Amino acid sequence: MQKVIEKAGKAFLTGNEAAAWAALAAGAEIMFGYPITPQNEIMHYWTRLAPKYGRGFLQTEDEISAGFTVCGAVQAGKKAFTATAGPGNTLMQEPFSMAEAMRLPLVAIIQQRGGPSSGTVIYSQQEVTLTTFGGNGEGHRIVYSTASHQEIYDYVIKAFNTAWKYRFPTFVLGDGYQAKMREPLVMYDPEEKGMEMVKPYPLVGLEGKIGEGREPQHLCNIYSMEEELYEVVMKFAAEYEAIAPEVVEYEEKNCDDAEILILAHGVVSRAADDAVKALRAQGIKAGYFRPITLRPFPGRQLREVIAKSGAKKMLIAESAYGQFDRLVKQEIYGETIPIYNLFMPGVGIIDYDIVNKVKSIL
Amino acid sequence: MGLIKIALAGEGGQGVQSIAEILAEAAYEEQKQAIYIPNFGVEQRGGVSIAFLQVSEERIGAPKFNKADVVIALSKRAVPRTARYSDENTIFVYDSSFTPEEEELPKEAKKIIGLPALDTASRELHPRVFNMIIMGAVIGFTGIVSLGSAKYALEKKLGAKFEKDPKLRELNHKALEIGWNMAQEALKEEVAK
Repeated sequence: MQKVIEKAGKAFLTGNEAAAWAALAAGAEIMFGYPITPQNEIMHYWTRLAPKYGRGFLQTEDEISAGFTVCGAVQAGKKAFTATAGPGNTLMQEPFSMAEAMRLPLVAIIQQRGGPSSGTVIYSQQEVTLTTFGGNGEGHRIVYSTASHQEIYDYVIKAFNTAWKYRFPTFVLGDGYQAKMREPLVMYDPEEKGMEMVKPYPLVGLEGKIGEGREPQHLCNIYSMEEELYEVVMKFAAEYEAIAPEVVEYEEKNCDDAEILILAHGVVSRAADDAVKALRAQGIKAGYFRPITLRPFPGRQLREVIAKSGAKKMLIAESAYGQFDRLVKQEIYGETIPIYNLFMPGVGIIDYDIVNKVKSIL
Repeated sequence: MGLIKIALAGEGGQGVQSIAEILAEAAYEEQKQAIYIPNFGVEQRGGVSIAFLQVSEERIGAPKFNKADVVIALSKRAVPRTARYSDENTIFVYDSSFTPEEEELPKEAKKIIGLPALDTASRELHPRVFNMIIMGAVIGFTGIVSLGSAKYALEKKLGAKFEKDPKLRELNHKALEIGWNMAQEALKEEVAK
């Protein structure tokens, strides 16, 4: 496969462009998609770039088909992905659910927009529940929530490896701001950097005779007996829990002596980081904790931060009405630290908002 | 240079997004951190278009902000849309081709300036370089980039057009400089007070 980035270097791009370049650099072979703002430019840049590097693209008739065609392509052993947002993400839950059921290495980039329904085309963090626990499954998915263009680039590359290594559908959860804004990042070839890219492999049409040369594949999304399904889901749950510790990622700053912990994810964590600096400058001991993986969630790490800091309060800030908050609470059940909220569904949060909220609850 | 925050607003087609994009590109060329984000909501259907631009030597936090250092409103209805981004440290600029309603102007501003950008472009240059006067003025008010870097970024965006018609380059550069001078004069007046 032709190298995409010959020499690592700085670039000044939108997040959608960064995502398209990252998918190319990761060796993605084909994208399936259906247009929706604010994700459109991932498709646009991919369609512009893909032919130059011998990669493919298919615009399907809707998001349901886009998701299912990714499910098909990965079974054929192709590194495939899609990207969507908002109502498109809702429609894709059916194929995402199939990917969970069949353990398909599907990769999807989600650029959250306002909701419910068509909401706004702009921005939100309201697709957290949908992306982590959507569909009629158990949330056996891996979700990276990015906060910068560098992370979009890094985690889109990583998502392909994670998906093909563990065979759980993997998501890069961005948002409309990250999609549309321009900021600098460094683009690189992952293998030049010493990253080993997991090679894709077919899941169907394998050589050898079942029972003699190889085990059966069992790519199944429907069972006739409840015990059969039970066994499969329990096995997936155990496998998911087993790999979780090596997949979990998080960021923590100033937590050792923090009196108040500020929790945020994605682009809001940038404001939280600045807010902590501003509060510290004013003599308020604030700490910052940010899960990078929303699934699996760094629950143990958060409990440790609560314990070691001895913080008296925790503030959860998000551009949604409690989706991240619920995720946090279910993970730290039993902790007694009082939790406060800054819920701003569908609008941006800046450090000023967080600083004011912290002062109002201290 | 600390963090500089700019909000540019106007009608679709006035080029506020292009100005912000070129300035962001110029800042990037100067090895600065830059974030430019368009407010891409209803304006695609003919409303007011707003561009948010932040430039700093250090890592920039949230892509949006509460109060700007400079707000530029290029149409009458852009004034009430952007007044909220102004506080006592903000230079609030509007194009003097229209007269804003008194009650729509920001309650708080360091200075409110009516800049004759459209008028000057029409009289001395060409109406189409109106937005280059505005870009020059933004640079003059904030010093976010040098005029040289702005010209370089402009070349990257419009170089092909300039090659075909070198007069266009000259016209754009002239407009940039006029805008820069306008801002310098306006700032001097402030000092004189």
